[in-house]
Amino acid sequence: MNPFQYVTAHTPDEAVSLIGKNGRYLGGGIDLLDEMKEYIVSPDVLVNVKHVFDTKNAQPIVFTKDPNGCSIDATVTIADIAAHEELKKVLPGIAEAASEVGSPQIRNVASLAGNLLQHSRCWYYRQPDIVCLKRGSQTCYAQDGENKYSSLFSGCACISPIVSNLSVILTALEATAEVKQAGKTRSLSIGELYHEVLKNPAAHNSLEPQDFLLSVNVPTKRTRSAYRQVSEKSEFDWALVSCAAAGNVAAGKITDARVVLGAVAPVPYMVAEANQFLEGKPLTEVTASKAADIILKDAKPLAQNGYKVPLAHTLIRRTLLALNT
Amino acid sequence: MAAWPNPRQVLGKPATRLDGVAKVTGAAKYSYDVQPDGWLYGMILRSKWPAAKVTKIDLSKAQAMPGVKAVILTEGEKRTVRFYGQELAAVAATTKQQCLDALRAIEVTAEPSPFVVKEDDAMKDDSPHVFDTPNVSQPSLKEEGQVDQALASAPAIVEAELRTSVQLHHPLETHGSTVSVQNDQITAWASTQGVFSVREGLANHMKVPQANVHVICDYMGGGFGSKFGPGAHGGIAAKLSQAAGAPVKLMLSRLEQGLAVGNRPSSIQKIKFAAGSDGKLLAADVTNHGSPGISGGGQTAGGGGGSGIATPYLYKFPNFRAQQFNVVMNTGPSSAFRAPGHPPASFGTESMMDELAVKLGMDPVEFRLLNDPSDVRKREYNVGRDKFGWAKKYKKPGSSTGTIKTGVGCAGGTWGGGGKGSEAEAQINPDGTVELRCGTQDLGTGSRTVVALVAAEAFGLRPDQIKVKIGDTTLPFSGGSGGSSTSASVSPAIWDACQNALAALQQQTGVADARGANWPDTCKKLGINPLTVRGKWQEGFSGSGAGGVNFAEVEVDTETGHVRVKKIVAVHDCGLIVNPLTTTSQINGGVLCGIGYALYEERIMDRQTGLLLNTSFDSYKIPNIADTPDIEVVLIDMPERGVIGIGEPAVIPPAGAIANAVANALGVRIHSLPITPAKVLAALGKVPNMTSV
Repeated sequence: MNPFQYVTAHTPDEAVSLIGKNGRYLGGGIDLLDEMKEYIVSPDVLVNVKHVFDTKNAQPIVFTKDPNGCSIDATVTIADIAAHEELKKVLPGIAEAASEVGSPQIRNVASLAGNLLQHSRCWYYRQPDIVCLKRGSQTCYAQDGENKYSSLFSGCACISPIVSNLSVILTALEATAEVKQAGKTRSLSIGELYHEVLKNPAAHNSLEPQDFLLSVNVPTKRTRSAYRQVSEKSEFDWALVSCAAAGNVAAGKITDARVVLGAVAPVPYMVAEANQFLEGKPLTEVTASKAADIILKDAKPLAQNGYKVPLAHTLIRRTLLALNT
Repeated sequence: MAAWPNPRQVLGKPATRLDGVAKVTGAAKYSYDVQPDGWLYGMILRSKWPAAKVTKIDLSKAQAMPGVKAVILTEGEKRTVRFYGQELAAVAATTKQQCLDALRAIEVTAEPSPFVVKEDDAMKDDSPHVFDTPNVSQPSLKEEGQVDQALASAPAIVEAELRTSVQLHHPLETHGSTVSVQNDQITAWASTQGVFSVREGLANHMKVPQANVHVICDYMGGGFGSKFGPGAHGGIAAKLSQAAGAPVKLMLSRLEQGLAVGNRPSSIQKIKFAAGSDGKLLAADVTNHGSPGISGGGQTAGGGGGSGIATPYLYKFPNFRAQQFNVVMNTGPSSAFRAPGHPPASFGTESMMDELAVKLGMDPVEFRLLNDPSDVRKREYNVGRDKFGWAKKYKKPGSSTGTIKTGVGCAGGTWGGGGKGSEAEAQINPDGTVELRCGTQDLGTGSRTVVALVAAEAFGLRPDQIKVKIGDTTLPFSGGSGGSSTSASVSPAIWDACQNALAALQQQTGVADARGANWPDTCKKLGINPLTVRGKWQEGFSGSGAGGVNFAEVEVDTETGHVRVKKIVAVHDCGLIVNPLTTTSQINGGVLCGIGYALYEERIMDRQTGLLLNTSFDSYKIPNIADTPDIEVVLIDMPERGVIGIGEPAVIPPAGAIANAVANALGVRIHSLPITPAKVLAALGKVPNMTSV
């Protein structure tokens, strides 16, 4: 890797003050250090942010009333999210999504922020000797190349799909990302956290290098949530497709439904029409299947990723039906 | 003729590895761990082009960088490169980062040439030629009987094209060595399957006498056929050490493993099988196109690296024709890979055997019992189907109901094994301690423990009373650990050395039987000098010809395409089972490697850039514990056949058995490996507008 300075911040403000123009925040380092070793990114400063909340008295995962919600510090490890007892009860989809990240070793080190802000896993982007569109050339090689893992819905020039498990469930739960941005703390929807990706093929998320993700706030107004994914291997593998769903179920009918797909588009993929369709309906094979049809109707399979369509259909049905119990 | 004793006290009883504690505590030092005084890091600059004419390699900037002690060209400056990853230059420096910086400072000027990295492209008439000759070789042809006639009139015929992918060599310890060249003396700590073949290779490469080269391999992390010679990287480490005047450690990265250390060639098998209405096989017509990349049997190969598969496989076809073509491409060379030519052959042949059985309305096991000429394998099918519960589990293809379908399948394999030529030395000390020395090496298979078990049997001692020295060219000669030959070659030599030691002990001490309880007192009678006696491999203690069968049970989620292997019963013979524990361990590992081949592993080359895309384990997928089924190993002990070897036979049947189980579950067959969710969903007709997967 290229040389860099290493500093430790003890508060979020200090982290922002140390980052400079080309620095990066270092949490678990699972994604960042790999990219640095491959010379894919070369920050001039690494600001260690593992201790920015050390002085805070509260726990890293806190449930609040008024508004009813759960606040999760951005530096908390994926393992801590997966193992959190109250989270498992109140927002089970989050714990499920966390438990499917990487391997136990990775989950023990990787942070929530790192999972949400991780970079593309497209193998053209990661190949050290290929300069793809995302790395600044004019060519997306995946478009006509090896695209079995690529997006079904792109709407932009780079077709590498989002692979963050947590982005998918947090979109379904209508969470917000609390971000320190230009001296202010802003609350971004998860959609806003990624919308830049659709405009700029070089982007992995909407944040500037100086922006600091503080926490994620998850409303607890939806009492049911679920996350499912299918990978080639049984564990420790990227999702071919993932799906998250959330809502309230009363008298056998769903309200406030949100269904989101991962690994099929550059951002978490949600179709409002499907959510509206589900409103007030019982969750059955028939309604879930219809919702899946709606979500997938604009899919544009490439030469090698058409299998993601039936796979996504299955996952949508299974995830939705999981909300019944 | 000489033979193993009967009954036996030690051989055939489960014994834990002598070095198990050292390995799990980290005390065992692997080749990767060696750090001689003053050592430097070595690294290789590789071609970034799949094909190019290199016109200039400017080393000057790299040479001037801090910490850099040597920069060399691996061959001349102006040269043709034919695959991504081909070695161009190398550096040695004090730190890893200095090496990386120096590599990036070397300026290579090259004119890119047209290239081809996909089999289907390489086989086209108008594709770029990798060499001056056509990419597709002349066929090798094996023919017997009247194939066309037999096919024309056969009552049952099946036909298909089956494909297997290139499987990369990814031993958990990457390739490499630490080499120290001082004047004309060389010491090399190599991660190798053959200390003596590394010695020969380095002596040739550096033009020094073999006697001046000392190769050591105490512990190494797997070779699987790709670590016989020093490899290009070993020769480069020696040149770097010579230039830098210090030992150089050059261990490859995971990316480099995918490029240039050899691999299992691909295969495209067009197969036509025919049988009579009585179920007897009549004819086989097999055409195979396989690619060994730019070549087979390159520097890192131990032979067997060509793309040919073993065909016709296992069964006796009165009429057969087998045509095989090598297809060269701009990809790294192939090498021997655990049972070269057999796993693809078993997959192709056994897939079509199941198709024939279905066509004939026969039970697949019965169909094999009718046609397999091997009595041992027939016994294994019989034993295996009972253990597996085949009679209850086997149902007509596609008859499993529900979303998640279960299926079962079986497949067989055969392997030569056997081995000879090892020599050994036993040293008996007056205090009763014993040291056995043999220039073999332990790939992780348990060879070190085998040496101790044989000596313990001979002397009536416990295995842990035997000190074993292996992995060093100063020890009595033993050959490379390949072809499943190590146990068969080493065990008789150890036994012979021990028998000679017992005879000498009797002569010197007058004690008629020094073994067991008599041992300490007899050894004391040696006085002050230890007794050192040689021995060598003798006829009668080892054999060849090992077989095996697998039964597989799988679950296939027909809505996601995900395949889970639930159960494997692996029945194997390898003559006298020296140690059931390490034999079982070999078979467990073989089954896992076979599961990887069947379901996950596939080298992905990019047609546009000619580069490897799955450069690490996140996209070159190997099975881990969650993918590991219940593996039941059944050993058929045949001591009368002597020691044979099990490393390779174990990896042959799993892919065929799993593919057959998937076909049995679904009622449709996936004709190419690996069997991914994408292919399963496509085979089930669920993928819209699919052009390829």
